[in-house]
Amino acid sequence: MAASAGNAPDEALEVEARGEHLLAVRFTAMASPCEVLLSSTDRSAALAMGTLAAREAQRIEKKFSRYRDDSVTAWIHENRGARIEVDEETASLIDFASRCFELSDGLFDITSGVLRRAWKFDGSDRVPEPDSIRSLLPLLGFDKLEWRSPHLMLPSGMELDFGGIGKEYAVDRAYDLLASARAAPFLINFGGDLRANRPPPHGPWQVGIERPDADREATMILDLEHGALATSGDSRRYLLKDGVRYGHILDPRTGWPVPDAPRSVTVAASSCTEAGLLSTLALLQGARGREFLEEQGVRFWLLS
Amino acid sequence: MQLKPGARRPKAANARRQLMAASCALLGAAGARGQQSGTAPADSGLLEDWSVDSALAYYHENGRIRAIEPVVDVSKVFADGQALNLNATFDSLSGSSPNGALTSHTAQTFSSPSGKASHSYITAPGQLPVDPHYQDERIAVGANWTLPVTRVDQLSVGAKLSDEHDFFSVTVNASIAHDFNEKNTTLSFGISNEYDSLSPIGGAPVPGSDYALLEKTGGKTKDGVGALLGVTQVMTRIWLTEFNISVDRFKGYLNDPYKITSIIDSAGNTTGYEFESRPDQRTRKSAYWENRVGWSEQFSTALSLRYMSDDWGIRSDTAQLHVRWSLSDRHRYIEPTLRWYRQTAADFYTPFILSTQQPATGYESADSRLGAFHALTYGLKYAQKLPGLGSRPESEFSVRAEYYQQTFDERMAVPAGLSGLDLYPGLKAVLVQVGWRF
Repeated sequence: MAASAGNAPDEALEVEARGEHLLAVRFTAMASPCEVLLSSTDRSAALAMGTLAAREAQRIEKKFSRYRDDSVTAWIHENRGARIEVDEETASLIDFASRCFELSDGLFDITSGVLRRAWKFDGSDRVPEPDSIRSLLPLLGFDKLEWRSPHLMLPSGMELDFGGIGKEYAVDRAYDLLASARAAPFLINFGGDLRANRPPPHGPWQVGIERPDADREATMILDLEHGALATSGDSRRYLLKDGVRYGHILDPRTGWPVPDAPRSVTVAASSCTEAGLLSTLALLQGARGREFLEEQGVRFWLLS
Repeated sequence: MQLKPGARRPKAANARRQLMAASCALLGAAGARGQQSGTAPADSGLLEDWSVDSALAYYHENGRIRAIEPVVDVSKVFADGQALNLNATFDSLSGSSPNGALTSHTAQTFSSPSGKASHSYITAPGQLPVDPHYQDERIAVGANWTLPVTRVDQLSVGAKLSDEHDFFSVTVNASIAHDFNEKNTTLSFGISNEYDSLSPIGGAPVPGSDYALLEKTGGKTKDGVGALLGVTQVMTRIWLTEFNISVDRFKGYLNDPYKITSIIDSAGNTTGYEFESRPDQRTRKSAYWENRVGWSEQFSTALSLRYMSDDWGIRSDTAQLHVRWSLSDRHRYIEPTLRWYRQTAADFYTPFILSTQQPATGYESADSRLGAFHALTYGLKYAQKLPGLGSRPESEFSVRAEYYQQTFDERMAVPAGLSGLDLYPGLKAVLVQVGWRF
């Protein structure tokens, strides 16, 4: 029902009442249904808050999307092999990705997008040839980049993809804007990654997390007072060949799916970026995902 | 099978702390770049949800009182919807306060309320008699606690204490608000109870007694009860209206212990003074209507009207218009205010008593606040939003200035001897306030 198109930032957003004292503003951005919920009856304020969030989401999408030829990502790709100077926001995202690469021992890698050239997770049995994967491996590895903020040199053939952190980052940026505007209790939800400032007067936010179950979609209801939740994993994206299920979580060090990766991981943390990273890392840990999260001491919900 | 990546764990056993640091660096950097203000990071516990509103006001009445007033107000909304608000105000007043006596062609000598000879004062001919030694400090603290009872009912209780060296006041209040019509309508009902204790310097004068006799007793009390019934209605997505009626009733010693009234002979000479004498009960009823409209994201108005009447014969009307205009970047706004006020005089208000003609009711007061006057207030506020401190998303700095001008409306016929004197000097005052909210 997300009727609004994401790439028209100035179109009028609609405020809809969602029960008593709850207003919602919906829009589409980053190919996901997004909404801002406010515990308020002030429709004009809700509209203003929704517009603020929508513009920020659309700004970030426009800036970092790998599907647009006017994005920073496209510009970086056009300048492969050259030393370029990136803007501060891009630099801080690359810094963050660099830190995550180190912390995860190379499991989290924003250069892993090249594997998409070989893997198409369409439910078919088209598992790529090991040779084609092997040929891509030289193009993988954040450590092959020359990165000394703000100067970047992306070797030819390599790709950068901010998709793995962009949505969570957008949630946090929109959160900052709304919090600065002293909004009423609010919840930002960009395609299932969400963050709330404080609960509405009559109890916590009730958040429905879509969980891919064995053969049916189940929704898990969580209570959230404040802070962020992010979910990673999607059982609909896989390949099936000879009775082996190849999940879409790829290990950038091997180019092959992480075996026994949880189907879905939801993590609670103070920021959405952090929650998103933890849930992604848990998937990349494969069978050790649960143990990994337990070690981190975070609240999580894992479906294996 | 070849799917053997050997799931390795992150280097650090607790990757989370480092991830958190990295996330904070990313988000903090974003905030610092100031695309919009605010660094808004991890929830840092205790002070996260406390918002603090502080202000320092300077008030100056032309030729009279000066006051400096710091105010601090902190509030927190708890996760379960309960809210606590605590506030404190400190006032330091000094200067000259009119004592109620009439301007005269001759010099007038007054004793201080304490009766100390060293504090007596002389008012020059043609000047409004004011006690030049007026000095007071007031400290007031208040607390208010709101708790949701059901999804649509909210209970609120509060208390307020105010202390001056000659006055102590306690007020308790309770109210309940009920939402219905999909929370577009809120009905509220509140009651309050106030208890005041007066211990004027030198004692509380016997109402109507001769000023020269210093007939004073010890402390006095007064108490009041009040009730309010209100409705708030969301009319359209940009228009909110609020209407309420209230009634309160005070009993006890309602005089201002420092106010006297001149006794004038038929030639206009001041022959003496007596302490004012007000009724020992007062019942006030008022109705209030406010409309707030957000015309656009940048422009909103609030228009309020109040009507009040009491059984002392005072009727007053107030109209106030606030306009808030956000400047282009929404980090600054200006708020012009215009307030118009008019009141009729209390039945027993008299600027002086003719020695030949004592007031029929037995009540009298020359306190100009009980006279008939109208007043205009012009105000302007400028606010600037700034990055917050620590984990707070933002702060707001504001400056407000107001100019108040009061003009008397009814002038009594006066004996010839008083002609040429400004018996109704009115009042001009300025208020400057700087505020910081974070």
